[in-house]
Amino acid sequence: MENSNSYSPYSSSSVDSTKPSPSESSVNLSLSLTFPSTSSQRETSQDWPPIKPRLRDTLKSLRLRQRGYNTALFVKVYMEGVPIGRKLDLSTFSGYKSLLENLSHMFDTSVICGTRDRKHHVLTYQDKDGDWMMVGDIPWDMFLETVRRLKITRPERC
Amino acid sequence: MDRRFPFKVLEHIFSFVDSNEDRNSVSLVCKSWFETERRTRKRVFVGNCYAVSPLKVARRFPKMRSLTLKGKPHFADYNLVPDGWGGYAWPWIEAMAARRPLLEEIRLKRMVVTDECLEKIAASFRDFKTLVLTSCEGFSTDGIAAIASTCRKLRDLELRECIVDDLGGDWLSYFPETSTSLVSLDFSCLDSEVKLSDLERLLSRSPNLKSLKLNRSVTLDVLESLLRRAPQLVELGTGSFSDELDPEEIAKLTKALSELKQLKSLSGLWDLLPEYIPLLYSVCPRLTSLNLSYATVQMPDLIDLLSRCSKLQKLWVMDLIEDKGLKTVALCCKELRELRVFPSGADLDETDVTLTEQGLVSVSEGCKKLESVLYFCVQFTNAALVSIAKNRPNFRCFRLCVMEPFAPDYRTQQPLDEGFKAIVEKCKDLRRLSVSGLLTDKAFEYIGVHAKKLRMLSIAFAGDSDLMLHHLLSGCQSLKKLEIRDCPFGDTALLENAAKLETMRSLWMSSCFVSFGACKQLSQKMPRLNVEVIDEHPPKTRPDSSPVERIYIYRTVAGPRLDTPEFVWTIHKSPEVGVSRLSIR
Repeated sequence: MENSNSYSPYSSSSVDSTKPSPSESSVNLSLSLTFPSTSSQRETSQDWPPIKPRLRDTLKSLRLRQRGYNTALFVKVYMEGVPIGRKLDLSTFSGYKSLLENLSHMFDTSVICGTRDRKHHVLTYQDKDGDWMMVGDIPWDMFLETVRRLKITRPERC
Repeated sequence: MDRRFPFKVLEHIFSFVDSNEDRNSVSLVCKSWFETERRTRKRVFVGNCYAVSPLKVARRFPKMRSLTLKGKPHFADYNLVPDGWGGYAWPWIEAMAARRPLLEEIRLKRMVVTDECLEKIAASFRDFKTLVLTSCEGFSTDGIAAIASTCRKLRDLELRECIVDDLGGDWLSYFPETSTSLVSLDFSCLDSEVKLSDLERLLSRSPNLKSLKLNRSVTLDVLESLLRRAPQLVELGTGSFSDELDPEEIAKLTKALSELKQLKSLSGLWDLLPEYIPLLYSVCPRLTSLNLSYATVQMPDLIDLLSRCSKLQKLWVMDLIEDKGLKTVALCCKELRELRVFPSGADLDETDVTLTEQGLVSVSEGCKKLESVLYFCVQFTNAALVSIAKNRPNFRCFRLCVMEPFAPDYRTQQPLDEGFKAIVEKCKDLRRLSVSGLLTDKAFEYIGVHAKKLRMLSIAFAGDSDLMLHHLLSGCQSLKKLEIRDCPFGDTALLENAAKLETMRSLWMSSCFVSFGACKQLSQKMPRLNVEVIDEHPPKTRPDSSPVERIYIYRTVAGPRLDTPEFVWTIHKSPEVGVSRLSIR
């Protein structure tokens, strides 16, 4: 068994002297020892500490929720008459205006909420009681709490 | 004179040999034993899908009924292996479908499984019974539907922590009305909602169902209706446990849970609300396994729950349990064999989560049968490790993750060398070890000297020099899997101990100081090792002294693999060829 006191081909001094020891922060070669030492680095690091992706995501949403941030809120969106729906992350929108803009763009038509208009598509939503309601009546934050899915209806229906 | 046992006698004797390790030894004795063994092996295990060709395996074991395969390196679980690396199940499924149509069980871990694979399985194996996919990816719910609809004798369908292209919950409706053979169903990793009526009907006609793991979309208000139809369950993974229930619903659910007289294992419990903990009181006394990884419950509520679980053998929980909660576990859960404590990340928010090394010390004192630990903690001490080792010399698996890289003993500021020395000295049966914190080469000298039964070792941010690797490769006799990240050594130890690598399944090194030249030398020296370099940002020129990002070295009789993506280079045996990316699209 190697006695680490005697000469050893592996002692640090014989190792390439351009290699930094862990305490040095600057790195000479294209290799970088990126160890997540500060809290903020650990927070954004995808591979440390070693926990599996699903648990990592769950914990991330948990902590965001505890801090009061909205986490991802995916809901299904259907356009009446079109069998295949889309999925939308509502937490990325700041309010009704940006939601409508995005939907209009996504479905390539003009989508509005509120007033019944024979010309435009009207946006409705299913709330957590299962009822279908007009989008736009309640404050945006409250809407995010209760919305389950969205439907873009044909104008005459409303 | 022919002194050999007749084939029939040998065959009968070998039918009592279950362990594949023993069977591997048996097959090395002589040619007739090799032949007899291979004709009688029913359960085939291949720890690295690239170590041998599917065709060879199919030909060697004509009576194969069960196949277990592992693909990607373990560190793929933590995002250290880029997407597209490999681990494709298709060549195996194709080979078995053509040659071993009587195959009944397929278990895959960390492999890429496509819908095509699943459809092939459904179409080719008429007696197919068991599909268990762990940490796999590449398929959609359409593939699952194919299995459900076609495999008439399906008993087990388990998707454990897979990444699935979730096209909706319709797959569940593909189980035919005549299907009554299900024993275990695990779809906890899927996101979409399944139709309640489909699930209810499936449960009603599956009297043999012992294990059911729902996904998060199954809300609490429907749980009662499901449990009523499956009171014989031994393992239950609930869906979300946070929806609002009215008092009548609560009463009904409490009753349904208390009717599960065989229930031994409980998991799921997403977002478990403290007010619902009393619902679980009736099952606690019988539980042997409890997974609270997704239950973000605080310490007082955890104590409330765990103090009733006197038969508990396996506990997975978040660090919200704190030292105080672990003290309760030490007092109440005397049968505990396995403990995993995961980081909730509360320490990053500077909230007070008081989980320290003391928690693990308490459990090691109180739970005399404890043999397997995974513990995440911000910092640790040598004294704690020494106590733990003294208390529990029966550890078989000890994984400590000190989350602060290079963190020394916070009381003495010393490296954690002495602590881990105690662990490997006292725990003579240690099979698996993960080390962390500030560690010098000395720690690895101790591991090399003492950890004679160690098979798997994981290291991150440790050591001083090549000596560290040399100690391990020259010392640990039973070492099969070594994975290292961010450690400051490289070439010398690797080349000096090249022969050792052929006795191991694999070696992974990332963010270490291994040079390209050393990789070439190693590959040329060792004909039966695949030396693969993973470089997502390859340099324009590659002089021998340039470092490589990651290397994965494994023994194989199948030669270099032909399915490498553009960021993986297999180093060739002959110096003239050098390095190439052999790939067949």
